[in-house]
Formats: sequence, structure tokens, C-alpha cells
Amino acid sequence: MNVSETAIQMRDITKTFGSVVANDKVCLDIRRGEILSLLGENGSGKTTLMNILSGIYFPDEGEILVDGKEVKIRSPKHAYDLGIGMVHQHFKLVDVLTAAENIVLGLPGKGRLDMKAVGKRVLDISSQYGFEVDPEKKIYNMSVSQKQTVEIVKVLYRGADILILDEPTAVLTPQEADKLFAVLRNMRDDGKAIVIITHKLHEVEEISDRVAVMRRGQYVGGMMTAETNAREMTNMMVGRQVSLNIERHEPKNAETRLVIENLSVIDVDGVKKLDDVSFDARSGEVLGIAGISGCGQKELLEAIAGLQKVESGSIAYIHPDTKKAEELIGKNPKEITEMGVALSFVPEDRLGMGLVGNMDLADNMMLRSFRQGKSAFTDRKSPRNLAEQVVSDLEVVTPGVSTPVRKLSGGNVQKVLVGREISSVPRVLMTAYAVRGLDINSSYTIYDLINQQKEKGVAVIFVGEDLDVLLELCDRILVLCGGKVSGVVDARKINKHEVGMMMTRLGGGEVKQ
Amino acid sequence: MKRIITLLLALAMILSLVACGTAAKGSDDLKVGVILVGDENVGYDSAHIAGIKTAAAAVGIADDQIIWKYNIEEDESCYDTATDLVEQGCTYIISDSYGHQSYMQQAASENPDVTFISMTGDAAALSGLANFKNAFNYTYESRYVSGVVAGMKLAEMVANGEVPATSIDADGNIKIGYVGAYPYAEVVSGYTGFYLGVKSIVPNVAMTVTYTNSWYDPTAEAEAANSLISQGCVITSQHADSTGAPSACEAALEAGTPIYCVGYNIDMLSVAPKAALTSAQNNWSVYYTYALGCAVKGEEIKTDWAAGYAEGAVQISALGESCAAGTAEKVDEVIAAIKDGSLKIFDTANYTVGGAPVTTYLAIDTDGDWVGDTGEAIVNGVFEESVLRSAPYFGIRIDGITELQ
Amino acid sequence: MSHIQTEPFVRITKRQDIKTAKAWLIRLISVVLALAVCGVVIYAMVKLNPIKVYAAMWKGAVGTPKRMLVTARDTVMLLCIGIGLAPAFKMRFWNIGAEGQILVGGIATAACMIYFGKTLPSWMLFAAMFVASMLAGALWSVVPAFFKARFKTNETLFTLMMNYVAIQLTSFFVAKWENPFGSNTVGIINQMTQAGWLPSLFGTQYMVNIILVLLLTVGMYVYLKYSKHGYEIAVVGESERTAKYVGINVQKVVVRTMSLSGAICGLAGFIAVAGSSHTISTSTAGGRGFTAIIVAWLAKFNTFVMILVSVLLVFLEKGAIQIASQFDLNDYASQMITGIILFFILGSEFFINYRLIFRHRKGGEAA
Repeated sequence: MNVSETAIQMRDITKTFGSVVANDKVCLDIRRGEILSLLGENGSGKTTLMNILSGIYFPDEGEILVDGKEVKIRSPKHAYDLGIGMVHQHFKLVDVLTAAENIVLGLPGKGRLDMKAVGKRVLDISSQYGFEVDPEKKIYNMSVSQKQTVEIVKVLYRGADILILDEPTAVLTPQEADKLFAVLRNMRDDGKAIVIITHKLHEVEEISDRVAVMRRGQYVGGMMTAETNAREMTNMMVGRQVSLNIERHEPKNAETRLVIENLSVIDVDGVKKLDDVSFDARSGEVLGIAGISGCGQKELLEAIAGLQKVESGSIAYIHPDTKKAEELIGKNPKEITEMGVALSFVPEDRLGMGLVGNMDLADNMMLRSFRQGKSAFTDRKSPRNLAEQVVSDLEVVTPGVSTPVRKLSGGNVQKVLVGREISSVPRVLMTAYAVRGLDINSSYTIYDLINQQKEKGVAVIFVGEDLDVLLELCDRILVLCGGKVSGVVDARKINKHEVGMMMTRLGGGEVKQ
Repeated sequence: MKRIITLLLALAMILSLVACGTAAKGSDDLKVGVILVGDENVGYDSAHIAGIKTAAAAVGIADDQIIWKYNIEEDESCYDTATDLVEQGCTYIISDSYGHQSYMQQAASENPDVTFISMTGDAAALSGLANFKNAFNYTYESRYVSGVVAGMKLAEMVANGEVPATSIDADGNIKIGYVGAYPYAEVVSGYTGFYLGVKSIVPNVAMTVTYTNSWYDPTAEAEAANSLISQGCVITSQHADSTGAPSACEAALEAGTPIYCVGYNIDMLSVAPKAALTSAQNNWSVYYTYALGCAVKGEEIKTDWAAGYAEGAVQISALGESCAAGTAEKVDEVIAAIKDGSLKIFDTANYTVGGAPVTTYLAIDTDGDWVGDTGEAIVNGVFEESVLRSAPYFGIRIDGITELQ
Repeated sequence: MSHIQTEPFVRITKRQDIKTAKAWLIRLISVVLALAVCGVVIYAMVKLNPIKVYAAMWKGAVGTPKRMLVTARDTVMLLCIGIGLAPAFKMRFWNIGAEGQILVGGIATAACMIYFGKTLPSWMLFAAMFVASMLAGALWSVVPAFFKARFKTNETLFTLMMNYVAIQLTSFFVAKWENPFGSNTVGIINQMTQAGWLPSLFGTQYMVNIILVLLLTVGMYVYLKYSKHGYEIAVVGESERTAKYVGINVQKVVVRTMSLSGAICGLAGFIAVAGSSHTISTSTAGGRGFTAIIVAWLAKFNTFVMILVSVLLVFLEKGAIQIASQFDLNDYASQMITGIILFFILGSEFFINYRLIFRHRKGGEAA
């Protein structure tokens, strides 16, 4: 359909960080009028390669040709001059400025800045590709998806015709992702070259024309999307056969373990984060929590764990032996943990909570247990043993238990965190974003771990972002919308679109009508 | 790492032993250590430096026989420096600031073979240490003479009608001011000398004294002078070591306020050519020539030494262009009177306290309560300053002077 | 297009890991380079033989037994404050208030010496001084810690302001205890009786100071590395959120750690007053509360490395004084030398963390 012309050729790109080879003689072509998916597990070198292209890193070896001419890309600005722009996973926007102001920020200009002209051009670009963006709107008033739009417009405004997007859908609802894809297709049809870094296979299949797969810093192959399938891509990514099915058994002997009634939480700014939330969690069952980001998932889990001040309502823990209900509100996090309610919360920066990046594995194991014993000194031996056990049980890839956690890859960090929480033999296990940013292989290890806990009779609460996974893994799904319960649904009997609707509108609108 | 430290320490030991081995004694090897609170940039210290250099040349002590230590704070670093100088082989150690005294005394008690001279100090006699000395000049004499210079100017201003009405207080006294460092006897003795000098020419004067609580603080001294000027003072003097106050006076005079000043130690004409009249000065070389002479000859130095105009130990600097006519002649006359003993500055007939003459004053404190308990200073109706010990002890606040705290 | 076709001349990349030996080699090279640069500067400015100047520095710092002792005394003083700051900074609590904590510790010590010097038996006097100095220091640091824990006030500004309060308080007590009257200095306290003066040990002055601080060095090392409190400090410092998440009472840890930090700084005041100066003045802390921040950070809170850093800083200071005296330079010249050496040493940390990559020769040919 499109006449693809090669925009960029990367030849034998090598980049090392210390002793780590991030890119090893990678060759890649990027063509105009085409959407290329750059696929690979975490740490396979996708982002490094694209950072080289956008001028953030400089390669140790290799050459880059833009439109057939060799270039040395020295800085992000230089990359822009060459028409290369990148939209990063973490937005780089100034909250108190408007969209238009953010877009022109840092651009050279003469004399007075004509914001009207800027606004007009922003609208022109938007209408050309089907964006919706209000140039006058302040960033802090925007949703995640709107912010992303501003980032993309910012790149286009600078005249980029080669666009790189790093995991653009990670923060979007299915509906928002659909919108983004439509825009990307328009841009492709306009002759722009687009690269998407991702590891979500269904997105690859949906949006891209061509796939390039990377594994451990090397380019392992590429093909037209139409000519491949998810299994083949996964095998290339991982380097061996992988099963893509999550085993889901029917819950056995489900007993109510947690009863949440009329829970309301107001944050420091006076915003109601949770509004009259009621549900229960049962043993031997995975309860999924779905919702667009920031609609109260975090507050809900933190309230249960005793980390969040509660405005009203109750959280009752039903003891498995005595069947007696015990109120959790008013207890401190330590007491709640000791009762068997464990929280493994993986925040956006992975290490911000739950693990200490600069400490080694063994010291991180101590976080939960270091108070044990009367001695003024810490017991170093048992955490070390536990760390070794977690490393071997969960196949954590690490040079040893004395390695600082921050040096581990994302998947391994999560395994350490989940492994530690499980080691305390919890009755209730809460995980939030347990597979955030993880590659397929690691994700499935985590799903297996969660299922094992479910089999052991633990009540699991799983906050997830990927609806496909929620639908496959969970038994029931609690859908939150703006801090309110939009509904509790049977994961086996609902589809992704219906959940998506419930996430954006209480009760799901369309579904009920 | 431990090994490296051990190695370093061992090395340091060896080097230090080598250094120690060179310390020898002998009259040609006489070594003098000098501890200065400031350096040559500070008027007070430069006066001492000049005095020591002159004295050394006079008695035949070579430059390399003197070890100078500049900017030594009035804390344990003075003690450290003193003991360090002892280790370097100094047998005479001089410190120039009053605040050094207690540290010098401590060093003296630990090093009986070394003579410690604490200039302007007051504790030598009471300490009972044979190797601990004090010395002071009759600074009140030069202050009195500088007061006479100021008084002549004031008389001229009165005659010319240059004293504004705001500068005369309710009792009809003309306001003059004084910037002091700290409120203790050395300063009190000095400002009283100055005041009596002015009063000897112009009887109706009242003086305000303000303190900076520092020996050397150009900013605070300028501020103090400005405050005095704004209160209406037409003459200021100072017992502080910087050019801050004269500079402020010069600026005010330029701006049209009638104000003249008398400095201390430094000739102020360079910073205040119009406003400065003269400065009371010490000629420390007189004492240093005596003390270093004793050192060279191996004689004992007096525990307390004090001298004034008679020996040439005090003086005033060259008169400024603003001085009144006849000042030089008057000054010569007063100096002559001081020298021949016909003028007793602190004669109790010259001042009162609470309207009554002073008849008795105990100068020396032995029990540590800062109130004299022995040593009658008033003999035959004259307060004898710096006779019982070298450091001034005239602590009487006389009528006509107001201290601001 | 006018795009530059060459790669940049030099690029900076972060090192993943560096071997300890290599890191120390870089530090050593930086010191050598610093000495070389200083040599050039010295020669260019004052035409002195740099070797002689360095010899003078050496002589000034450790040239005689007394100087070695003074250097050691000042080193342990700086070290003591560094040890006091270590737990606070490890907790990422910016305790800029050591200066004030030392002063109030010193005031408390001096007060005991002045008021109880004649009445209490020696051991009780020392106990009172010791405890009072620590309490005073702790009080001074607990105030900002409490406000930080409770109201999230900025501890940097708060502790800094507390310094000024302490300085004024010191001025007040100096005026109250001045000796002689009107001199505005306290002079040597108990000069005759020597009550409350730390005695000589093994015939050496300041030995008590040295032993006390070395004990603290070991104690703090063990405390930070092996105790539960030390572990909590590390967790709070690395991530307050994580600390809350695992149920650490962050407010309690902050207040407790800061009391410890302040108490040790107060103890430094005790050592300064009872162990060396036997007086109190606004210069008792003498800026060491700030210098010790460099000590703590440069040593990355390892108290044994702090010994090295303190030795170096005090060595430079003493050397500078000697240069000034011996060659009749003013202080500024010698302070410049100290500045250059410190600049290189701090700069070496950059080369330990980053690597410079120069343009390939091959790239040059291509261009």
C-alpha cells in the first residue's frame, strides 16, 4: 500500500555501560510510511538503541545513516535537527505551564513570543492527525492521555518526521490506546516513520506493519507483522518456547477474609480518593482491581495496609481459624503485617516503596523481619538465607545476594519484592502493578506465583493495568471509577470492552442499557 | 589502610626528631617569638611590629632570630602557638593583645625556662610566675595631649560660632563622643585622659562613650561614629584600631556636618585629611628595646614596666590641617608640663564623681570579683595610674561622661 | 545540511562499577596532580621553591611532637563532629546545625566548670560536664527534628538558624562570665585549680580527647552498620516511603537519630572546652561544624575513612599556617593552596563516578 523508503539505517551499533553490553552490533532500518514495533524483553537494549537515535547516548561503535547520509548524532537537539523525535515513557512536561507553552519551551525564538500563532499551529497539527488538544490548558489539569498527546505534538511541532514512542500504551485505557493508534496510523499515512517500543504482543499485532525483535542487546530478526504470530514473536524474544496461558482454577473453599464497608479516603489536598467503597476478598481467590490510573487503587491498598488515613468506613479481617472479625482501621502497618496481611506494592519507579535500591538483597529481606529478637543488633544470617532461597526458588538473576537491588533488572526486582512478601506466609496478599514494565517471561513467573498463593488459600488482591491479564488471571474483578465502585464482575463472563466502559463510567453505561 | 597510617606516623616521628635535634642555645642563637592578634594591616599590630623591628635593630637581634605568628586568635591557638614557639627554640615570647594573656600565663607556668611577655596584660605580678611579664605605656598621657588638640579645635569652633545648637545639651555642655572597644579599665583610663584634655581647654563639654565590643571592626566603628555624629557630637575620638570612625567622620564633614576626630595608633590623615586632627600613639620600641636588651644581656626583665612622655614611649601623630592656630605651641607646653611633673593628669581636683571629689580607690583585685581590694591608687590627691602595675586601672566613671551600653 | 559530521571530542559516561583499588589510585593521582598544580601556582606567584613549601607544610603539621599532638587534637575534634553528623546525613537529614550544637555543648560544659568547679569532686564534675554537654547538643538538634517530623519543616534552614541562636546564646554567656570584667572574653576557666580540665594520659596532653573520639569512631561504625537502629536509619535515608511501608515509625527514628547526632556534636563541644581550650567563645566551634559536613560526605559515613579525611583537612590547615609564618606570606596564599588541593580531591570523585571517552582515532580519519 505505502511506498516505504528507508529513513534511517543503523549499522553495527554497539554501546556498553561498564561491563554491560547494552547493544551489540545492532543493525536496524526504519522506513517512512511504516509503523515499526521494536520488541524485546526488559534489558534487551530497545530503549538504549532508541536513545542513541535520539541523541541521548552516543554509540561506542557503528554508524547511523539518515536518508543515506552518515551522521553523528551528538545531542537531542541535533536529533531534532535531523527530524528524529522521541516520546519518553516518563513525560517531561512543566505542570504549571499550558500545553502550548510546554510545546515551545526551549525552542529558539526572536523577540516576542506569539502564543496565538503557536496555539494555531498546535491546533493545525492536531487536526491534521486527529488529536484532541487544548493549547491553553494547563498540564496539571490534564489526564495522562492528554499529557501524552502534548508530548507527541511537541515532537511534531519541532518538525520531527521520525517518531519514537517508548511504551506509549503503558498508562492508557483500552479506549485511549485505540485513539492513539488511530493517530499513529494517520501519521504513518502521512509518510512519517514511526517506531514503537513495546512488549505487548497484541498491540504489535494491532498497530505495526513490521516487527524488529531484540534479545540481550542483539538484533535477532524482523518480519512483516502480517506474516507472523504471537507465539513466533514470543519465542524470538525469549529465545525458547514459552507457554502463553495462565492457568486458572476454580476457587476452592472460598471463605470471606476481608470485608470492606463504606470506605472513604480523603487525601491531603482534600480530594476524595475513595468514596463509599464496599467489597469483600475471599481466600483461594484472586480479586482483580481495574481502573484507570489514579482512581483510588493505591489508596485502597494503602488503607488496608494501614498506610493511609481513613475518613470513614470499616475494614474487617476475618480470622481463618476463629472466624472472628477484627477491625484493621486504627492499627499500624506493623500490626497489620503481623496479622498476615501483606502488601507488595510496585510503584512507578519500582524501588520507591517496598525495596531499598542501594541495599543488597539480603538487607532488603530484613525490611520486614529486622525487628525480631531482643538484641540491639540485626540478625544477618537468616535474611541472607531467605535471600538465597528466594533467588533459587524464583530464579532471580543476580550476581549474588550481596548485590544492590537497584542493579537488578525490573523483573528480578519484582521477584525479590513478591518473594519476600510471600515468604512471610500471608493470609491476604495484595499486589499492585506486579508486572509493570516486566517482559513476558517474568510476567508469567509472577502470575504463577500468584496462582500458587491462591491455591494455598491466600486471598489475593491484584491491581493490574493490562485488562487482558486481569481477565485471564482473576476470578472476580472490582472496577473502580473515580474512587467509587463501578461494579464487581465475574472475570470469566465479561469482556475487555465492557470492563473498559466501566472504568470510564460508573456502572459501565452501555452495558446496562 | 592501617599500615599506611602507621607508616605515616613513623615517618612523622623521624622527621620531627630531626627537627628537634637542631634546637640549640646560645646568646647569638637567641630566638624571639612574637604572637600577634592581627597582622601588619591592623594599626595596633603594625605599631608593635614596628616597635619590635626597631628594638631588634638597636640591640643587635637579626631578622631570622625572630619568628612572627600573625592572626593568632585569643583562644587556645595562642597557647598552641606559644608552646610551638618554645619547641622551635624561642626563649622569649611576646604577645601583643590583652586577650592572649591567660593563654600566655598557662604556657608560662608550663615552661619556666622561657620568658613570656604579655603586652598590656595585668596578671603577671599576681600570677607569681617569675617568667611572666607585663608592660604598658602611659597611653593616658598621649590621650590627654590629643584631647588638648581637640579642645583647641573646639575652642576655635565656639569662637567662630560653628557649633550648632543641636550639639549643646540641656546643661549647656558641648557634646563630644568616643568609640571604645570594651568597657574596661584600659579603655576607661584612655577616654578619661582624652576627656580631661579637652576639658582643660573647653570646660563645658560632655562626652558620650559607645562600645563596639571588638578591638578591630571597621564597620561597627563607623556605625558607632555615625551614631555619635547623629546625636550631635562635634568631636570624636576612639579606642579601637581601625580607620572606620575617621572615615565616617570625613564623609560627614564632606556632607557639611561639623565633626572632627582624634584617632588612635594610626595616623588618620590618609583616610580623613580634613576631619582628622591627630592620633594618640604608642612608641612600643622603647619597651621592646629595654626588654630585648635585657634578653641579649641575659638580665631579668621587670615584671611590670610602664613609661610615658618622659621616656618617649608615647606621642601624638602629626597635626592635621584642620587643627586650630596655636595648637602646636599648646601641645609642646602641655608635654613639657607632663614631663616635668607639674601636670598631673588624674589629679582628683580635675574631676568629680556624683559631684564629689574622689578620695580613695583600690586598684588591684586579688579575689576575682573584678572589684579592687588592695593597692590604694590615690596618693596626695593624685590618682597614680600604672604605678602599682603596668596595666591601667583607672576604672572611675567621672561626671561629664556617659557610657552607652 | 550543516550538521557536524564528527563525533564529539570527549564524552562523559557513568561508570557502572569501579574497583576499590582503582578508585584509590584515582584519588592518589588527584593528590599528586594537586601538588603539581600548587607547585606551579606557588612558583608563579611568589617565586618560592614548591618542594620547600611542601616541606614547610609537613613541618608545620607534624614537624614537632607538640605540633603532631595539636594536629591530632584538632583532627579528633573534627572527626568527632563528623561522627556526630554521620547518622543524620545517612538518614538524609541535612543537619547544618553542628556548629550550634557544639556551642551549646560547650556552654553546658563551661557552665558546669564555672558553677561546680569548686564544689563537686572531680569525677562527679566530669560526669556532669559530659552529660550536660550531650543533653544540650541533643536539645539543640531535637528541636528541628521534632518540627521536621511533625510539621515537615525544612531542616536545612531550621538547623542553620539554630546556629545563629546558639551564637547569640554564647555571646550572652561570654558577657555573663567574662574575665576580666569588660573584656568580653571568658579567659581560661579555672586556670589555677584546673578543675574540669581533661587530664593528661600516659604523660600526653589531649590523650583523653583522642581515646574518646576513637571509641566513638568504632562505636558509630558498629551502630550504623550492625544495629537495628542503624538499619532503620539507612532505610529512612534511602526511602521514607519504604520505611513507612514496612512499619518503621519514621518520626521516631528522625527524632531519635537527631538526638544522637546532636548529643555527639554537643560532646564535641565538651571535648573542645574541657579537653583543649578551657574557655568558651563564639569561635569555639570555629566553622568546624561545617567542615565536618565535608568529612562525613567525603567518607560516605564510614567513620574509619573519616579519620583519613579529617587528618588530611587538619594537615592542610596546619601546613597553611606554617607556610604563612615561615615565608611571610599572608593567610590567603596558603589558603589558596588548601583550596586547590581540596578542589582536586573533590574533583577526583567525579572521575571515580564517570569516565571520559575521547574521540576515536578512527573517527578522526573518517572526518
